[in-house]
Amino acid sequence: MADNKIYWSGLEELDRTPEYERIASQEFPAERPVDEFLSDDRLQRANTGRRDFLKFMGFSVTAATLAACETPVVKSIPYTNKPEEITPGVANYYASTYYDGHDFVNVLVKTREGRPIFIKNNTETGLGRVNARVNASVLGLYDSARLQAPHLNGAATSWGALDAAVSKGLNGNGRKVLLTGTVMSPSTKRAIAALSEATGVEHVQCDAVSYSAVSEAMEMDYGRRVFPSYRFDQAEAVVSLNADFLGTWGDNVWYTGEWAKTRRPESGDMSTLHAFESGMSLTGSNADRRTRVKPSEQGRVAAAMLRELTGEGAAVQLDEAVMSSVKAAVADLKRAGSKGLVVAGDNDLATQRIASAINRSLGALGTTMVVNAEPGLNQGDDKAFAQLVTDMQAGRVSALIVDGINPAYHAAGAAAFKSGLEKVGFSISTAMYADETASRCTAMAPAHHWLEGWNDLQIDPKRIDIAQPAIQPLYNTRHSAESLMAWAGQPVDGYTLLRQTHNAAYNAEAMYTDQDWNTGVHNGFLAVNVPEDVAPVFTGADLSSALREVAGRKGGSFELDLYRKVAIGDGQQAANPMLQETPDPITKTTWDNYVTMARADMEAMGLNTYIAQEDPASLVKVTAGGQSVELPAFPQPGQTPGTVSIALGYGRGGDGEAIGRSAYQVDGSGEHMTDADGNLVPIGVNAFSLATLKNGTPDFSVYDVTVEATGGTYPLACTQIHHTYMGRDSVVKETSFDGFLAEAGAKRGEASWNKTIGLNVHDDVNGDGEINALDKKAVGEFDLWHEHAVDGIGHRWGMAIDLTSCIGCSACVTACHIENNVPVVGKDEVRRHRDMHWMRIDRFYASDWDMERGEEEGLGVISTYGKMEEPGANPQTVHMPMMCQHCNHAPCETVCPVAATTHSNEGVNQMTYNRCIGTRYCANNCPFKVRRFNWFHYPGYDKFQNVNPAQDAIQRMVLNPDVVVRSRGVMEKCSLCVQRTQSAKLEAKKAGAPLEDGSVQTACAEACPTNAITFGDLNDNASEVRATYDNNRTYHALEEVGIQPNVAYLTKVRNTSKS
Amino acid sequence: MFGFESAKHIRHNMGRLASIVVMASLALPTALHAGIWDEGDIENGQALFNANCASCHLVSNEVLAAPGLAGIAERWGSSEEILVQWIQNPQAAAATGDSYVKSLVDRYVGTYGWMTAQAVSADDVKDIMAYVQNPPDVVATADSGSDCPTIYDAIEEDQGANGTIWFLILLTLFLIIALSAATVRKSLEHAANRAVEHADAPYSVRLRAWAWDNRTFVGILSLFVVAYLVVIGYQTLMGVGVYQGYTPDQPVKFIHSVHVCENEVDCQYCHHSAYESKHAGIPSTNVCMNCHKAIKKGSRYGEVEIGKIYAAIGFDAESGTYLDGEGNNGFQSPQDDFQGAPLKWNKVHNLPDHVFFSHQQHVVVGGLECQNCHGDVGKYTVGRVAPVEEINTLVDDFPGLIELSKPTLTMGWCIECHNKAEISFASSGYYEDIHDRLKDDLRGNEELRRYMEDEKTTVKELGGWECSKCHY
Repeated sequence: MADNKIYWSGLEELDRTPEYERIASQEFPAERPVDEFLSDDRLQRANTGRRDFLKFMGFSVTAATLAACETPVVKSIPYTNKPEEITPGVANYYASTYYDGHDFVNVLVKTREGRPIFIKNNTETGLGRVNARVNASVLGLYDSARLQAPHLNGAATSWGALDAAVSKGLNGNGRKVLLTGTVMSPSTKRAIAALSEATGVEHVQCDAVSYSAVSEAMEMDYGRRVFPSYRFDQAEAVVSLNADFLGTWGDNVWYTGEWAKTRRPESGDMSTLHAFESGMSLTGSNADRRTRVKPSEQGRVAAAMLRELTGEGAAVQLDEAVMSSVKAAVADLKRAGSKGLVVAGDNDLATQRIASAINRSLGALGTTMVVNAEPGLNQGDDKAFAQLVTDMQAGRVSALIVDGINPAYHAAGAAAFKSGLEKVGFSISTAMYADETASRCTAMAPAHHWLEGWNDLQIDPKRIDIAQPAIQPLYNTRHSAESLMAWAGQPVDGYTLLRQTHNAAYNAEAMYTDQDWNTGVHNGFLAVNVPEDVAPVFTGADLSSALREVAGRKGGSFELDLYRKVAIGDGQQAANPMLQETPDPITKTTWDNYVTMARADMEAMGLNTYIAQEDPASLVKVTAGGQSVELPAFPQPGQTPGTVSIALGYGRGGDGEAIGRSAYQVDGSGEHMTDADGNLVPIGVNAFSLATLKNGTPDFSVYDVTVEATGGTYPLACTQIHHTYMGRDSVVKETSFDGFLAEAGAKRGEASWNKTIGLNVHDDVNGDGEINALDKKAVGEFDLWHEHAVDGIGHRWGMAIDLTSCIGCSACVTACHIENNVPVVGKDEVRRHRDMHWMRIDRFYASDWDMERGEEEGLGVISTYGKMEEPGANPQTVHMPMMCQHCNHAPCETVCPVAATTHSNEGVNQMTYNRCIGTRYCANNCPFKVRRFNWFHYPGYDKFQNVNPAQDAIQRMVLNPDVVVRSRGVMEKCSLCVQRTQSAKLEAKKAGAPLEDGSVQTACAEACPTNAITFGDLNDNASEVRATYDNNRTYHALEEVGIQPNVAYLTKVRNTSKS
Repeated sequence: MFGFESAKHIRHNMGRLASIVVMASLALPTALHAGIWDEGDIENGQALFNANCASCHLVSNEVLAAPGLAGIAERWGSSEEILVQWIQNPQAAAATGDSYVKSLVDRYVGTYGWMTAQAVSADDVKDIMAYVQNPPDVVATADSGSDCPTIYDAIEEDQGANGTIWFLILLTLFLIIALSAATVRKSLEHAANRAVEHADAPYSVRLRAWAWDNRTFVGILSLFVVAYLVVIGYQTLMGVGVYQGYTPDQPVKFIHSVHVCENEVDCQYCHHSAYESKHAGIPSTNVCMNCHKAIKKGSRYGEVEIGKIYAAIGFDAESGTYLDGEGNNGFQSPQDDFQGAPLKWNKVHNLPDHVFFSHQQHVVVGGLECQNCHGDVGKYTVGRVAPVEEINTLVDDFPGLIELSKPTLTMGWCIECHNKAEISFASSGYYEDIHDRLKDDLRGNEELRRYMEDEKTTVKELGGWECSKCHY
């Protein structure tokens, strides 16, 4: 690593635990201990003797040999009536829009023979970046646990019978309510209006994760009840008060890309990011300055900031350290002026009002924060929902239609909702699964998956984003707007409804002739002409009550922060195995929910702070407001002492609901575990119930909880100490923005923060007449191997990854794994270090001490190193994507006894599965630990029946037909998406023209929302990746080993010194 | 690999422009026009007719996929210009409102569909008409079939492939007889002595003694037996996974020779995705219907085999219309909601999953003819993997064909060809760019010289032997 810092992947590495040392020195962890295996009493029950065993084995070997000689008969079934636009073997792409209540993204759907298999960004619409949740959502389409027909009273029925029952149900006396998430579709709004008119149904909106304090603050200040549109691309200084806007908060995918635009050091200017939070969030880990505060202090931080900025309000009580961070943040905000932005994540009205006041005083309104007249995202009204629950419990609701949300799971008062639901005369849900809410309703009218139906969505008054079906509905489902129209007595198909919304004169004959519409469908959105919005006028009232309220807040011995994880979000995709197995960017833990705690607190309670294969986590019981949950405790560097964090989105389907086979825990043999009632055991627990209700609005910051150790243990599958560099550490390089600017003109390899590593030679290289330690030669000049002819010859595929832009969001990880059919292996195997991830994101922590600071503070070299090794209660974080580096001098290639891994003349390290005999020498010899061994036949072996998509007859349709599904006993690894480069070359050859830069992207580069990954042909002098290679921040990981990778990294620049 | 049985397709599938067969022809006798009818070049006309018209029209009055053209000159009831236009662009001719053309449209388009517009000039039409009126041999294509084999020909040819086995067996027998004859006197003498010595010894002892006494014979015999077993074993093992001559039964007795050889249908008419995709594809049933909507009776199996296509796509042969999901007929194009059982063909050219093979790479970029790998399909009856020896015999007919030695569809066969096939840098802008890069770079230049040592650049030299060109 850079000489001036020490990085560590977790507490285990920092403290060099024996387990860590053992793993670091072994590529493959110890096999299952023999004692454990022999003590398995199932072995004793076996009645096969040794002789029988040998006989059976002999027979099987012979039978298998004979069977292998048989010519397999493969059926080939052409279309009977082939659709014109489909050519077998050629992918089609359709523009569409993803909206799940939180994420709003324009995408391109890749289909093969009519099956959607991949979701990628739609770069031409401005809203087209994807995250892990969006690109993994394609797996949900093929989930066989989806409802396959309408149901009435628990039995499948026809749509006709269901509609009849609904119209009868809507005849009752009492409140009739349609409960939805935030409706963004003008057509659905029309359908709702029609339904209200015909039946008197009221419409209530409620979001799974509520933001209503934000819109309420806007209403009080500007008279507009909307969630503002934040313009991060305009921001020069951003302060996040527990708002994880890079991971889960608000319109996060869009924010991510826009924010990253302001973080390009080469432009000569970088925005700053200050984060104040209790648990470590993705945003916090990317902040230039991160400050640990407790949830109860958030409001005071905002108040202190306002006071520093405007002098308004009284002084509040805060730690000195926090106060100095507040001053630093305010200094940056002042410098940025109207280009400053404060976002607050707590769903707490007082904090939100103060944050709004800060933005107003900065003049940010209209530049970094736009308050539209039209509501966009997050229109949920918690008060109306609370009233509804009260009425339900009092038996005043005769009919309830639930569309798009699952309140029995995520409502803060879920228990009250469930008991109220029993008193509702007629209830119906349009959920795709018989989930917590739907399974308790009288009827279920399953809606399409988003890839199956048309939709129009409006996030911005100037555009209508269009979702188009990429496949015929797989099951007997119906678009929910179509259902609403049917119940309004005006049955119409969803497509006609949609067209009539945008063209009242539409008729079926004009289906294909409307040029504007066709262009809109093709591009993914329709531009709408609307008059410019009038700027909102501040009508706000006195802030003093809010300031008083936050000043008086007190926390208990422990405080709780409920957050969402980057992969699981609010839990609607809990049954998605790809997301469950994506390691959390911060904790690197898969398949589980846990309580993150500060190490000091854990040690005080006597909890285990080192988690590894044989070191399970300690269980703790967290109690808030009478509700308690029991979860394993995870030591999180950077966690504010006295606080704990629990992720929402877990514990789904624990009451006998059927939400998908991968949402539940499995035992060592791959069978689902069951509890005492025979129900499947969900993964993690539901933490929504712990939220505090303030006026019916759930606040996910809880100021007083108790945490107690239960004495139990629980294994966690955490990948943080898997695949280490075995003691080598020249992997990450970083510098401050000032440091970068000081040497911005330096040549590659010369700046102090990116010096090419030199090795001593016994020769007078520097010509000073002496042979001594100063005689060094650049490592690139040494050669252990014969040179590979790749430069200047044909193509040479290369990649450059900018560590400054990479935020660790893991979109690349899911994209890579879906594109390349990477198997999902389940928690037990991940725990055994057998995850198959071709791409991982290493998350390193480092103390904020470095040599410069040591010098400034007058410490010697030794004591500074000592400081760097301190556990780092609040470490700095680096996210580093790591995959096969495609070394031109690849150590893996030299040790393969069968030449199954070889180098191509395009610079790619090729892995030939059919040649591999599984010696695993290559993995042992790989300095980056990026090779993965297929321990099992994942698409067939029972152990993976509940996790691997390829084991489901329908879900395996998601596999990419251009990439082989690897068999047991072979190595696999990143191929630089060779299927894509091959296909791009073919297209160029067919066109008879040189291959254009940008015509081929790897799945990871394409998915990256911050454009941190650049891929292209290094032999093309005009290519972007070639230019990036010449950047002075560019370096190769483990350069001193002399392996000459084709993947390069760009030094991370942290904007730390500006303030 | 492709073709999921329940292949779902895109809903907003714009109506399919069912392709297109046929030219309607002509009904009413009319005045004979001088000019276009009798001044053309018959020979050129025949070539043009075969290239453009013969897939649907016969020069007799029989119907192929469209009405026969015999007597057209007498029937044509409109001007010559309209005839030319009718051939060049039938819809435009119909749009002129000509009454005779209208009568043609009313009468035939419903049954046979619109004719595909033909890129022929007025002079070409003149030549074609000259040929149509004076066909040298009216029955030319219909049933001559002299070079086109019947269904079992190709399969019978395969018999006797194991000639070596018979050779070895005969050789062994011959040696046994020869050696026995040579030692017969000695044997008799020994036998006389032995009978006394070992009369009461056990059988195994006597056998051993006999073997020892005849050790030359036994030794040579054992040598041959071992050699035989080694050869047979080697051949068997080398044959594992080799599918030369693989000819599985198919659900429809489709005869390639009838379509390719007798009717001269181009390979890509049915296997059209060879140009666009990695798969050449088995034609979808609606492609069969382009011709078989009109040709309802086959020359070998009558209505039985063609009836299977009709059952799959929902076609009512009597009314000449399609059925929908409810069993109603009267549709001119196949109906999406018709749920027939699709034809499940047995795949003949099976590559393992870990092999990526792209037809378009070889056909479009490499410029290969189908016959280079599939042999002369017109000579077989059913689809089969052509043995490499058979493909090699085509070398005179196909100038670009490369003679190979390894069995078809084995990796040896692929890389043997990649080693021999040449790439011309001048062939396209893509390769020119690659050439420029090599020229402009010192290291590249060295490499380029190495390529050109034998004065040619092969696929192998540009990376065609690298693993991940085909395995990923």
